[in-house]
Amino acid sequence: MSEFNLTEDQLDCLQELINIAMGQASDQLARYLDTFVYLEVPSIESVDAQVLMSGLSEQKNTLAVVSQGFFGHEGIRGEALLVYQEEDSGRISDLLGYEPDEASQDEQLIDISSILTTTFLNVFARQIENQMSYNAPKLLPHVQSNLAEHVQHMPFTWDIALKVNINYQVTDYSFNCNMILLIPEKAITKIKLVLDRILADLS
Amino acid sequence: MSPSVLICDDSNMARKQVLRSLPEHWQDSVQTATNGLEALKILRGGSIDILFLDLTMPGIDGVGVLQGIQKLKLKLNVFVISADIQPEMQSKVKALGAKEFIRKPVKAEILVNYLQQHDLL
Repeated sequence: MSEFNLTEDQLDCLQELINIAMGQASDQLARYLDTFVYLEVPSIESVDAQVLMSGLSEQKNTLAVVSQGFFGHEGIRGEALLVYQEEDSGRISDLLGYEPDEASQDEQLIDISSILTTTFLNVFARQIENQMSYNAPKLLPHVQSNLAEHVQHMPFTWDIALKVNINYQVTDYSFNCNMILLIPEKAITKIKLVLDRILADLS
Repeated sequence: MSPSVLICDDSNMARKQVLRSLPEHWQDSVQTATNGLEALKILRGGSIDILFLDLTMPGIDGVGVLQGIQKLKLKLNVFVISADIQPEMQSKVKALGAKEFIRKPVKAEILVNYLQQHDLL
């Protein structure tokens, strides 16, 4: 987490806020899929913007990225990317009981992503005394060619990517997806202030 | 006399949140553990009356601790405090002997209310 320059306490606080947000996002996903979602401790890390972009574009087995913009007040905004791997696509279709035709699978990926993203960010925002609005989620197929272009057209410059590695195990199935939050530096500074306030209230 | 309390959570902040929710005269008799293994070591001593237990932890998780408590036939009051709020998880931990399931972030009035309901306060 070096780019964030978070203290140990700030990092612990952020991790806990993320755990709570993840817990509720999993609960929503479980209700949607009508099953139980096994939740692991999500790991978080910060990734350099350039490294992340080239990494994602070169990744051969990335099936799809679903991208959704979010914005709150006091300069907190960003873009959430849900990244799915190719080997998980069949499993997701199995899970949802869908015929493996492309249209329905795309819709399902968008639905699942939007449930995860908006629940996660709503709960996270509430904890940092903020409130989020969202753009419509967009599926970026053919990630290799589209991702760089898509990111260039975002309405803000972002400096830091907060990567939350989520591993969802859904009873007999398991699929991995990474949630990557692209956040401008101004928003990080703001979040740090809120973390400090939460920590000060506790000490 | 204050009961002997153990708070088990891998997050320092979460442990502090629980601690701050407890009655002030209890504060001196509170121990903490940062994972399930540590918690079980303390619990084996047999002196803990009340355990506040997180579920999602690396290594031995909260469910593992509950199973350990059953295996060791320990008698104590366990309150699970977790971010994993799925109904199935709530019934699972209750079946494993937890008195109550409290969702994170913990609120003092809810925690105190449960302690009163179970005649612990």
